[in-house]
Amino acid sequence: CLVFSGDRVIDVGSEWRTFSNDKATKDPSRVGDTQNPLLSDGDLSTMIGKGTGAASFDEFGNSKYQNRRTMSSSDRAMMNAFKEITNMADRINLPRNIVDRTNNLFKQVYEQKSLKGRSNDAIASACLYIACRQEGVPRTFKEICAVSRISKKEIGRCFKLILKALETSVDLITTGDFMSRFCSNLGLPKQVQMAATHIARKAVELDLVPGRSPISVAAAAIYMASQASSEKRTQKEIGDIAGVADVTIRQSYRLIYPRAPDLFPADFKFDTPVDKLPQL
Amino acid sequence: MDADSDVALDILITNVVCVFRTRCHLNLRKIALEGANVIYKRDVGKVLMKLRKPRITATIWSSGKVICTGATSEEEAKFGARRLARSLQKLGFQVIFTDFKVVNVLAVCNMPFEIRLPEFTTNNRPHASYEPELHPAVCYRIKSLRATLQIFSTGSITVTGPNVKAVASAVEQIYPFVFESRK
Repeated sequence: CLVFSGDRVIDVGSEWRTFSNDKATKDPSRVGDTQNPLLSDGDLSTMIGKGTGAASFDEFGNSKYQNRRTMSSSDRAMMNAFKEITNMADRINLPRNIVDRTNNLFKQVYEQKSLKGRSNDAIASACLYIACRQEGVPRTFKEICAVSRISKKEIGRCFKLILKALETSVDLITTGDFMSRFCSNLGLPKQVQMAATHIARKAVELDLVPGRSPISVAAAAIYMASQASSEKRTQKEIGDIAGVADVTIRQSYRLIYPRAPDLFPADFKFDTPVDKLPQL
Repeated sequence: MDADSDVALDILITNVVCVFRTRCHLNLRKIALEGANVIYKRDVGKVLMKLRKPRITATIWSSGKVICTGATSEEEAKFGARRLARSLQKLGFQVIFTDFKVVNVLAVCNMPFEIRLPEFTTNNRPHASYEPELHPAVCYRIKSLRATLQIFSTGSITVTGPNVKAVASAVEQIYPFVFESRK
């Protein structure tokens, strides 16, 4: 008797003769592009690229074989969105896993069709925001705005709609999520970054800053830590990096200033002592 | 933890929105010319009529549909709507006051304590949504009452719902949860 162990067992990895299983390198023994069946279904099309050399142009200067006829007409919008997502992620150097997660989210939202009327770019930006959050490395809305043409308001709206459509929720942002990024952008040493993280965490624990956005608290904490060290930064510089107005930093700073001695970590080396911190 | 004791919380109704129909076509131009206290918005096809006695602003369409906003209670909304219908009648239209319905009630309530919003959100996951970057309040939706509450860290709560009863019961429902996460 026969036992079927597998129906159509086709290995989509590279063949055994080529010695790297790296999908990124062009594998000459394969036909067609690398499959991405997880995202766009049925990707067996061949696209005719723009020609090089004189033979590809006909009499009038137009190129022969004009149209890159994309045979995957369904989900062309989706492929477009994936391209846009990759572009946006490239601008802020996001790793591949976040991009993949974004693509998956977009596919889910697109198939559900509940947000069909919204601009695809807006949905893509919101998916990118959610993916960063889910991976534990949130980006502020303003950072996503900077790499997208969509307004913060629209991204925020799409964000809430997507959470409702996919019935998921995201964790709240904390001050610590942004510390390493902001501090390295400002060129602050590790000591200052650790001090700022400690200050922000303590400030939230002691509830000195009720109702303030964690970004503003983080910015104020960085200001305090940098002013106490040898690497001082102005409010304007920090506001620029964090995307908060310098008056906002001033407000949050005023709230944490009274308890400054308690907020610093125990082993911090003060370049400017606590009582000489600027008072705004 | 006395969450069930009778707490005298003042729920202040700030706005009641209602709609009614006049069952007849209204000539907006005539209202705009002959009516008192009217603003004609020709580009959108509406006339705004403001009443002084119950302080009400009404948006009137030529189809006969009218939306009244600015009342501070359901009865006041009804008085204002009737007064408005009367003034339209005086202008010569055959007005019949039908389909009066209170559509939205906005109320404000103040808790005697401050609230820890992150704690509150994590305890009330699916109903509560908090995005500090977008809005400083937690948005809590009660599906059964079709009410939305905005809870601020100062303890003030803004409730919107379809009628005054829903608003009152929404506040009662939220009180124990908010009490848990107080300072």
